[in-house]
Amino acid sequence: MAHPTTWETSTGLARTPARPVKVIHPPAFSIGTISIGLRTLVQYSDLLYTLSLFRLSVRYKQSALGWTWAALQPLALMGIYTIIFTRITTVRTGGVPYPVFVFSALLPWIFFSSTISSAVNGLVLHPNLLTKMYFPREIIPLSYMVASLADFCIASTILGGLMVYYQVPLTWHLLYAIPIVVILVGFAAAIALFFSAVQVRFRDVGLAMPFLLQVWMFTVPVVYSLQSVPQRFRSLYLLDPVAGLIEGFRLVVIHGAAPDFRTMALSGAVTIVSLPLAYAFFKSSESTMADLI
Amino acid sequence: MIDLKFNQVSKKYNIRANGDSPKRWYGRGFPGRKKPGQMWALRNVSFQVNEGEALGIVGHNGAGKTTILKILSGITTPTAGEITIRGRLVALVEVSSGFHPELTGVENVYLHGAMLGMRRSEIRQKLDSIIEFSGVGRYIEVPVKRYSSGMFVRLGFAIAAHLDPDILLLDEVLAVGDAAFQAKCLERIAELRKDGRTMVFISHDLAAVYRLCDRALLLSHGSILSDGPPRQVIDEYQQMTFADQGMSANEESDTAIPARCTSISFSAPESPEGIRTGHPLVARLAYKASKNIPDAVFRVSIYWPSGYLCAQLTTESLSGGLQLEHGTGIVEFQCPTLPVVPGLYRVDLAIESKGLEIDVRQRCATLRVEPGKIAYGDFLIENTWKITETLPPPHL
Repeated sequence: MAHPTTWETSTGLARTPARPVKVIHPPAFSIGTISIGLRTLVQYSDLLYTLSLFRLSVRYKQSALGWTWAALQPLALMGIYTIIFTRITTVRTGGVPYPVFVFSALLPWIFFSSTISSAVNGLVLHPNLLTKMYFPREIIPLSYMVASLADFCIASTILGGLMVYYQVPLTWHLLYAIPIVVILVGFAAAIALFFSAVQVRFRDVGLAMPFLLQVWMFTVPVVYSLQSVPQRFRSLYLLDPVAGLIEGFRLVVIHGAAPDFRTMALSGAVTIVSLPLAYAFFKSSESTMADLI
Repeated sequence: MIDLKFNQVSKKYNIRANGDSPKRWYGRGFPGRKKPGQMWALRNVSFQVNEGEALGIVGHNGAGKTTILKILSGITTPTAGEITIRGRLVALVEVSSGFHPELTGVENVYLHGAMLGMRRSEIRQKLDSIIEFSGVGRYIEVPVKRYSSGMFVRLGFAIAAHLDPDILLLDEVLAVGDAAFQAKCLERIAELRKDGRTMVFISHDLAAVYRLCDRALLLSHGSILSDGPPRQVIDEYQQMTFADQGMSANEESDTAIPARCTSISFSAPESPEGIRTGHPLVARLAYKASKNIPDAVFRVSIYWPSGYLCAQLTTESLSGGLQLEHGTGIVEFQCPTLPVVPGLYRVDLAIESKGLEIDVRQRCATLRVEPGKIAYGDFLIENTWKITETLPPPHL
């Protein structure tokens, strides 16, 4: 009579010739966690897709206006700022009608700020997921970012409509918008990952964030242009990648000019350094999130 | 082949009222205030599970069972030590915790499946089968916030049951759904076991551990106390649980009670090996009555490890109770064959008068039943057998 154990082992090996071997160690902060983390993230890429998709559908469920909300928010802000900055006081726009001028900067800014504000609270809103299941935790903040990116795309069509209405000409320089948005996405991801990991430990982050974002908006060229910033402060001002990227986005979209390459290079460099650091920090704190939340 | 290996694993939790506090950034807090407490949920735990083996983990609440499960599934990491996992590991822990209430059943299948590491194509392929297994039917297109709790859990288990794990972690999941659904779950688990999948089962249901596992671990305060065949480990666990209880429970309020049980003993006549399944049992219950008790009934209740009543020896009869005289005495119960399967049973004693309890001794003794006649399931059914109505083979 065949030994039952032998039989079980042989079928087990036939089923999966090479099983993955996983070794779990105590957590440590190291750059090495990035490659392991990215590999796991790729395995779970379908979850990021599914979660982002449902993030969007849940957001507009049981709301009468639905997807229109993605366009309403920037439009309303555009209206307010247009009244303030054309009737009460004026800013230099380089000859572009103010509504288009402010809308073209509100788009990337709203993408950035809504990513940060929703992603920061994302992890603490799902304590059940964190303590009961495992999947790469960065998927939660990243899914909020993907949802904000979808809103950005919807609102972009409104920008197109405004440009036609105000007869702002399109040029081939518009294509520069693609690398600019890519860098902005990278920087938003870095900020979102960093602050959402800290928020699990210190809820102060979530409390401070609305205020911080409000201040941040006025330190980047959204309602005014870079031209309004005194020359001697500019290099300091442009150390913030968001400032450089938003100015660059407006330049290529509505002014039809090429972006300032030095500013773009600086923004890109800051992003390339900060994103891996933020990700490594996130991965090293991920392992204790379930205990702390 | 070893599928799972714990090597000197320890896990420390910091117990603080409000999680991690930033106080350590600016000082030690007020003088005289206690330092935050630390709790070792696991201490130098080492064990391994071979391929195709089913390991049960038992222990009291807080013994570290759930911590092992959380470390294995990657929810948290150990403070020290190393764990090696060979193969795809799936944890069936609170199977519907990933559900989003606003999403429909189908949407949640995709979401939860992806959280468990399934690909969208894989889910699409198994979707019909998952819906059928869950028995949710046409409600699959309804947001799950409208589901009954049973439907919720069934859908969660249905998704998990369609994973193809090399190693399966189970944590009390068998306690979900109605009887029919539970049977379905057990069937699926048995199927996976038969296919040679490795299993780690964490449960308070000792009977289930006994039924499902090849081996068991007893955990206490974060350390392994015992590792061996399920019956032996479960016995040890029960002895540990019952050790602090005895006959002295009501001793002080002696005078207030008109009659009490003073001792119980079990013996097996004609059997030197002890009490055995299918063999005779004699139970002797000693009592002391401080006055005459009318209409008295004695009960010796025998409980399963799971806490359910298994059987009772009683003097109760349709014609009424005994007239108990003032003094002491012994009630002797004679059982020609003991029909319960081997194991360690918990025993309660009680005296009633006119239907009211006058003395109850809970968990005051244990009854150990050794293997005797061959019995599977819960009880031995006495039977005889013979082969009848044999026919010669048909001519073709």
